[in-house]
Amino acid sequence: MPEYILTAEPPLGGYERHFEGTSLREHRELAIVAVSIPLGKDTAVSAALGEAYGATLPDHGVSVVSEDGATRILRFTADQIFLLFTHAKPDAAQVVSERLNGTGYTVDQTDNWVSLSLSGSLARPALERICAVNLRKDAFAIGRAERTVMEHLGAIIIRTGDDGFLLMSGSSSAESFLHALETSVKYVS
Amino acid sequence: MIINHPLLGPRDSSEFYHLGDATLINRPDPDAADAAEQFYEYVYIRDDPAGEYRELWYHEQGDRSWLVVTRNTLTHEISSVELARDVARRQGK
Repeated sequence: MPEYILTAEPPLGGYERHFEGTSLREHRELAIVAVSIPLGKDTAVSAALGEAYGATLPDHGVSVVSEDGATRILRFTADQIFLLFTHAKPDAAQVVSERLNGTGYTVDQTDNWVSLSLSGSLARPALERICAVNLRKDAFAIGRAERTVMEHLGAIIIRTGDDGFLLMSGSSSAESFLHALETSVKYVS
Repeated sequence: MIINHPLLGPRDSSEFYHLGDATLINRPDPDAADAAEQFYEYVYIRDDPAGEYRELWYHEQGDRSWLVVTRNTLTHEISSVELARDVARRQGK
């Protein structure tokens, strides 16, 4: 019987490209875990986050980074947070569930998303053309995170640095999302 | 059109899906004696006011919340935006 070895492959195969000093790069091993907060358990989840990650439950539209800098916690809605961290194995949800002592309901969403970093001077002008969120530096401070739409595709945008953004969209339409980003960057370069 | 989301602030209406009359929150009791008549009205009968109207909007490309938006159908002016679950809870649902 033949032996198969399965190798994890990101939706865009590890895409990376540079445009006049601005880089667009796919994340290879970014684990994404959704944690749903059971009704009335905000305090318990917040306490568990504090113990495990040295972080509190973030406000809506804001992301916080864990004490060790390894995990970013996002919150878009009242009852759910996302945890993002580099993790190569397919057991991310279990890892989070154990660290949070089972206080929230965890779902591994890693394979459902494509994650790209766009950074450099062209990032903001390129995103302004396709993103419905106000990205002015004072309106969208470092750490802000929103779920929105780019072109016709649902997307998450997180400001990670002065001119740096982490962008996420559905893995099944990753090529279309990349096309929208590439086209917009080309138009402003 | 901009919808001022109660949790997330002003958001473009392109992120939302519009469902219609907010009375859809009030689903009739299926065990009522006149349930068939009530469901007929619930599903098919709508007011079509020229003026203030309470509607359900879904933040599909956002936080996936349902909102009750009070909008003037003549001017498109939005006078109030609430989370639908807050409205439902206020009604004891």
